[in-house]
Amino acid sequence: MILRGLLLLWIAAWIVAAFLWAPLVPVLGPTTRVLYFHIPSAWVTVLALGWSMVHSVLYLRSRNLEHDHQAAAAAEIGLLFCVAATISGSLWAKAMWGAYWNWDPRETSIFFLLLVYGAYLALRSAIDQPERRARLSAVYSAIAFVSVPFLVFVVPRIYFTLHPDPLINTRGKIDMDPRIRVVFFALLAGFTALFFWVQSVRVRVARLERRAEER
Amino acid sequence: MSAAAAAVEARDLIHRYGARRVLEHLAFEFAAPGVVAIRGSNGAGKSTLLKIVAGLLRPSAGALSVQIDGRDTPPLARHRWIGYAAPDLSFYPEFSAGENLVFAAETRGLDAPPRAAQRALEQVGLASRSNDRVAALSSGMLQRLRLAFALLADPPVLLLDEPGSHLDEAGRAMLTDLVGKRRTTHLVMIATNDEREGALADRSVELAGRGLGDPA
Amino acid sequence: MPTEASSSPAAVWAILRKECRSEWRTRYGLNAALLFAVTSLTSVSFAVGRLGDRPDVLAALLWVVLLFAALASLSHTFVREVEGRTMTLLRLVASPTAIATGKLLFNLLFLAVIELVTVPLFLILMGAPTPSWGPFLGVLVLGSLALGTGATLVGAIIAQTRGRAALFAGVSFPILLPVVAAAVSATRAQWSGGSVAVELRLLAAYGVALLAASLMLYDHLWED
Repeated sequence: MILRGLLLLWIAAWIVAAFLWAPLVPVLGPTTRVLYFHIPSAWVTVLALGWSMVHSVLYLRSRNLEHDHQAAAAAEIGLLFCVAATISGSLWAKAMWGAYWNWDPRETSIFFLLLVYGAYLALRSAIDQPERRARLSAVYSAIAFVSVPFLVFVVPRIYFTLHPDPLINTRGKIDMDPRIRVVFFALLAGFTALFFWVQSVRVRVARLERRAEER
Repeated sequence: MSAAAAAVEARDLIHRYGARRVLEHLAFEFAAPGVVAIRGSNGAGKSTLLKIVAGLLRPSAGALSVQIDGRDTPPLARHRWIGYAAPDLSFYPEFSAGENLVFAAETRGLDAPPRAAQRALEQVGLASRSNDRVAALSSGMLQRLRLAFALLADPPVLLLDEPGSHLDEAGRAMLTDLVGKRRTTHLVMIATNDEREGALADRSVELAGRGLGDPA
Repeated sequence: MPTEASSSPAAVWAILRKECRSEWRTRYGLNAALLFAVTSLTSVSFAVGRLGDRPDVLAALLWVVLLFAALASLSHTFVREVEGRTMTLLRLVASPTAIATGKLLFNLLFLAVIELVTVPLFLILMGAPTPSWGPFLGVLVLGSLALGTGATLVGAIIAQTRGRAALFAGVSFPILLPVVAAAVSATRAQWSGGSVAVELRLLAAYGVALLAASLMLYDHLWED
């Protein structure tokens, strides 16, 4: 209870600091603040995906439904953060370069992750029996694990050999003032903790649902 | 094959379909040779149990092992030592009865698949219908085909789920003969509510939903 | 007394032959797939005419047509077993790996037949420039292998769900996208005289990775 309150206070405080205390990055101007939200969201997206896939494999090895609860919960939460990252990234792109979507490598990668999450959850929603749902979504998760590196690293590069773009993208080269760095890592930690907290709640709900069913 | 020493053992076997518990803390041990009847009312889990023995279904909890000559058989490879016939066993409608069995024999890696198929059909009295499309078979003939399929590789363990259904008097006589011939050499497990089929057995397990199975 | 040879290669071969014979008897799958491929090809050709000067668009259209043809047909081999309730029979005569491998080989054969009809038709109808046959066929072969491998595993999964074929396209898309991207890039490159080495290596690597993962996962497909 206390930890939850502290976490929310932490995040709130650092959001305020992002607006009032940390300076702006010169090249980004007022849009600087998006990076405190957008990049941690993208990070949690990847973290959640990894968490989900690991538990999928663990389920296949042990057939313990606990792992399925973990995998499914992480996927649901990961999807939310993925949508948040995609939208915040898109708004940022509009502010910076005038277009909501450019198929820029990172935009492309986050979109593909959205597809993977969507496919996984769509598959789960189409199976009623808990064990079959756990098993088949775990198999899918395992094969998607093979695809993700190709989707995130290789395909955007292919797109760029097909469409070399004069649009200059400096997002990777932010020189971080120490105050910016502090706020950024504080919020990165905050988002990570937020993920694990929501994850634990969601898993508890799943466990209770299963126990209620089995009674 | 038939001389193999077979044993089926269940330990604390549990199976659930969603909220419904079908098998609960079931325990038994049966060794070849002999005929075991699995009794119970509708929905008591007879078919479920046979599916688990056949390796078609993974139980929710507990263990079921099928040992051949003292060695455990993994569920995914269990088909090599068991013959299975159940009401939900369907064949390829675009093939004839004979072709279905030849396909099964080829895939199982049996020697001379056409001869194995022919022999199986003869044992169930379907030899004359070998070239008939499956879609053209009556329910009784379809049931004979299922029994032929179970007998195809002459497995040491036979799992028969309601084997007498749809059979006429001649069919039932054939079934009695079939089981009788294997009483002293194979392990046969018959899931049934029918007293005629139950009478073929020398041992039985009663499935009662909640409760232990009690080998007679 | 019947004895048993080492089952796997024999089982795979028997299943492959069964699929071919079954397809030959009913022919509904192949007809539908070919009709689909030719129809989409005709629509494209009718709408945009000859595109000899646009190798980029040609490459994309070719692989879109092939992808759609694959999505329309490669799950049928599993869906038919589930709907015909013959999975029990199959599982009682072969291991899951043998079943899936046999159907994978069938799917690859099926894809090859579709491409044998669709690709020449495409080249002719769209007025495509003459391909550099080596690279072009290399992309086609490696791309089809990867496409078939991915589609077979996903097909086996969705055949056990409600919604099946409708789900197939959406669920398989992330898995198949790397193949299409690399194949389009390479196909375009070979028309522009560029090198396809990078993409070919990619397709090969991805195909091998998919196959290796699939072989480990097939055993988990059917347990109820």
